[in-house]
Amino acid sequence: MKRLFLFSLLLTLVLGANAQKFMTKNGYIGFFSHTPMEDIKADNNQVVGVLDISSGEMVYQALIKSFHFDRALMEEHFNENYMESDKIPKSIFKGKITNLASVDFTKPGTYDVTVDGDLTIHDVTNKISTKGTIEVVSGGINASSKFNIVPEDYKIAIPGVVREKIDKNLGVTVTMKFTPVAK
Amino acid sequence: MKSYVKIALFVVVFFAIAGILAALIMFNKKHPDTSKAKPDFVVTAVTLQKEFEDNEKTASARYINKILEVSGTISSISESDNNSLNISLKTGSDISSIICTFLSPVDKSKFKQGDDISLRGECSGFLMDVLLKNCSAVTASK
Repeated sequence: MKRLFLFSLLLTLVLGANAQKFMTKNGYIGFFSHTPMEDIKADNNQVVGVLDISSGEMVYQALIKSFHFDRALMEEHFNENYMESDKIPKSIFKGKITNLASVDFTKPGTYDVTVDGDLTIHDVTNKISTKGTIEVVSGGINASSKFNIVPEDYKIAIPGVVREKIDKNLGVTVTMKFTPVAK
Repeated sequence: MKSYVKIALFVVVFFAIAGILAALIMFNKKHPDTSKAKPDFVVTAVTLQKEFEDNEKTASARYINKILEVSGTISSISESDNNSLNISLKTGSDISSIICTFLSPVDKSKFKQGDDISLRGECSGFLMDVLLKNCSAVTASK
């Protein structure tokens, strides 16, 4: 199913290729957990992102296994115990800029946006709404956002002993450097 | 003290120390150093991408979590704000490549678009491209 979705995404990209679509395959999503006991950080620089500036729609996809932790053991636990990444390899966000009219994609500058959408992690989909910025630069568009998620909202079970070491609200950072889809 | 008590005590202490040591080693476990590790598979970028394209399930079972040594031509280089470097390798497809992420700060000037390169990394799977993490260069032709 996800393969089919990707394929149709690609197809629309290729067929409808024009100045309206922007893309990156080197997008960044990271999360941060702070507790008095420990700070934990994970980075993923292999996020695929597509932005359609005519509709304000955006789609992000990431492989769970692409998240990197400083500690190998943590990365192992994250994949095997919490995210079950062998069974559920991907995470997806599909959303839309709700105040598209306030962004002038022809004029370089930074614009505040609100994005509403569906975030799917660990096969659980939740509606989220978050603030972010769109930066129109020469040759591309940068998008970034910071928001919080609660692991339990995505049925990610963290055992009691470890729970205190992980923030109840994980801080998520998204940074994309989109370039126009060629052709 | 009776000798069997001594022995029992010794055994208990021994296992306690062994346990603590094992826990410490586990906790401080490092990511495999792909520049030194022996690769599980040696493939070309073209073959690797084609295998995932043709049958993602089989290719996933074979390659994910394994250390791959992939050879190919650099199609693009992308640097990110958090000190990581992505190098993409050309494949037989226009829209799908092999994306390799280097995490420790690396000398970007070693790599050039169009260079033939051989690199090692851990395979995390297939999105639109085959993704490798924790990468290191094996050879960089100049």
